[in-house]
Amino acid sequence: MTTYDIIFYLFALVTLLSAFFVVTNRNIVHSAFYLLFTFFGVAGIYVMLGADFVAVVQLIVYVGGILILLLFGVMLTNKITNVDIKSGTIHALPASIVLGLFAGALAAAVLNTKWKIVASPETSSSTVSLGNMLINEYALIFELLGIVLLIALIGAASMARR
Amino acid sequence: MIYDWLHNITGSAIAAAIIQSLLPLFIFILPFALFAVLLERKVSGHMQDRLGPMRVGYHGILQTIADIIKLIQKEDIVAAENDRRFFDLSPILVFAGSYAAFAAIPFSGAFIGSNIDLGIVYIVAVTGLVVAGILMGGWASNNKYSLLGAMRAAAQIISYEIPTLLIVVTVIMITGTMNLFTISEWQTQYFWNWLILGGPVFGTAKILLIPLMVISFLIIFLSTLAEVNRTPFDIPEAESELVSGYHTEYSGMKFAMFFLAEYANMFAVSAIVATLFFGGFQSPIGYLGNVFGVKWLIPIEQFFWFTAKGLFFVFVQMWLRWTLPRFRVDQLMAFCWKYLIPFAFVILILVGLITVLL
Amino acid sequence: MKDYILKFWQGLITIIIGMRVTFRHLFVPAVTIQYPTVKPELPERERNRLYVNMDDCIGCDQCARACPVDCIQIETVKSVPGDDLGVTSNGKKKALWVTKFDIDIAKCCYCQLCVFPCPTDCIYMTDVYEFSEFERENLVYDFVTLTEEEKIEKKKNHEEFMIKKEVEKAAAAKKKAEEEAAKKKENGDQPGEKPPDNKE
Repeated sequence: MTTYDIIFYLFALVTLLSAFFVVTNRNIVHSAFYLLFTFFGVAGIYVMLGADFVAVVQLIVYVGGILILLLFGVMLTNKITNVDIKSGTIHALPASIVLGLFAGALAAAVLNTKWKIVASPETSSSTVSLGNMLINEYALIFELLGIVLLIALIGAASMARR
Repeated sequence: MIYDWLHNITGSAIAAAIIQSLLPLFIFILPFALFAVLLERKVSGHMQDRLGPMRVGYHGILQTIADIIKLIQKEDIVAAENDRRFFDLSPILVFAGSYAAFAAIPFSGAFIGSNIDLGIVYIVAVTGLVVAGILMGGWASNNKYSLLGAMRAAAQIISYEIPTLLIVVTVIMITGTMNLFTISEWQTQYFWNWLILGGPVFGTAKILLIPLMVISFLIIFLSTLAEVNRTPFDIPEAESELVSGYHTEYSGMKFAMFFLAEYANMFAVSAIVATLFFGGFQSPIGYLGNVFGVKWLIPIEQFFWFTAKGLFFVFVQMWLRWTLPRFRVDQLMAFCWKYLIPFAFVILILVGLITVLL
Repeated sequence: MKDYILKFWQGLITIIIGMRVTFRHLFVPAVTIQYPTVKPELPERERNRLYVNMDDCIGCDQCARACPVDCIQIETVKSVPGDDLGVTSNGKKKALWVTKFDIDIAKCCYCQLCVFPCPTDCIYMTDVYEFSEFERENLVYDFVTLTEEEKIEKKKNHEEFMIKKEVEKAAAAKKKAEEEAAKKKENGDQPGEKPPDNKE
């Protein structure tokens, strides 16, 4: 086990544990806070994979933006902060059957795929190549995504105005 | 580089990395916080024609140490209705967020925590952790003042992140890199090469850039000031309205963590402004080490210049604190959205045109 | 648009003006007085803690009567002949033993009205203004110079003197009565004449 592995498992543990808490926690604000650690762990894993720009964007967008928005929403919404989420078990049998099938399918997929194993290259910054690709190769998609977000923004504004 | 030196001494990459990551904390942030708290009180005192602390040590120089001893002794009060887990976690998160920013700040030619290419963007990203920590603390305190303060802090920080990022992008367009170390190196040697005076490339572009850079410096200085919740943007901890905002319920060492984070943040944003526009660790007038041919002196001089610039901007922050009254919430938002962001956008476009055409 | 730019510009200029003002104040000498080590200069006629110079006090009770809040309490005992009470600094002879002279400074309103009636100028305002105490009782100042035993002794002396005087008086009255009775006998019976009133 190298240092790299240790750090990877640390981040993986953080991500999985906090994700587990997000799902099982009964307090909705607690769930939102645990989501922070999930995002953070995911960002760590991105860094481990050499995708530093994606990791930073993950932090900016998800932790700095979406999570804060989520927390605002949860905190400012009346009668939601102290409501227990009802997460009782219903339809135990069919659910476990479906879940078992899905888990089996996933496991089969994981085991049967021939994973490409490449000696990890010396991690270098991906920013420049990412920028080039976004502006040259995928310029149209990039712009379209921008328009989609703009439309969402306009929609939100017009709804708030009403 | 300090890392190689540590690696040679300890013989282990991990030990060297750990020691290097602790260096800014122990040789810089803690002494700086000790000094800055005293400086803050002295500057406030003298600006109001008072003297500030005078009792402990000569002219009160040991006052902060006495304060820290007092804080350590204090009882750690946790109210029954506090959300214990997040209440304990919040100061750690806030401090971690502001300390993480120091990883990418180049202190001198020989010391930067991590010379990553994303530098400045990384710093903006980890600031998000501070926002989450503040919200967490405010909510876990279970106190209306804390919650209001946390809400205001979060709204303010994420709003003012926009002009900050826009100006950062402007700077990135001129320098062509996000690496703070490279940006510092790029503004070489003398003060007329600093970005506030148009950067080291002479020509028409330099002349055109100067007014734009002065305005962008003002914008980024004000918006980073708002991001660290300093006066006149201190509505999250407005004493007269909210007791002390999100850290109302905290006492003892947890409060000290918030305090330390605030001062670390103050220096971090000053350092960022200094690095982006004022040459970072570069000396404005050349190096003594070059004059005398003593190579090892240069990094020390660079550290001196970096600290001096950072401290100057910290002083300006304190200076502004005693000049301007606190904004109202609507004024705060209007200032960000109606003034800073449009100006930042205009500058972004103009600088883009200049860099492309000239 | 013009208004917008103008506003921005004005904001900038006013901030710079404000910063110039604060920066100038950075070098203005501080007005702070380092209080416990450096005392502020008090005005000439300041009124602070009362003091009574008991050597001069004649126990006339005028200060207590002048006090609007009744914070001075004085009890006196008359001296007996032969007691040497001394003379005040302005030559008045003292005639009373002051057995109680309490000033409750917590009640005092610093009006200085007690100072003026004093015939010997023995009660006056000092420049001491730091006399906070942890217990309110400690603010009742006792100025009496006599010890407890002396007080008791003086009181006893006075009582004994009074008794003695009484006895002497009674004896004198008796003697007088006897004398008068003797006179009466000498002058013969005169009906309607009564004995003197001061008897008894």
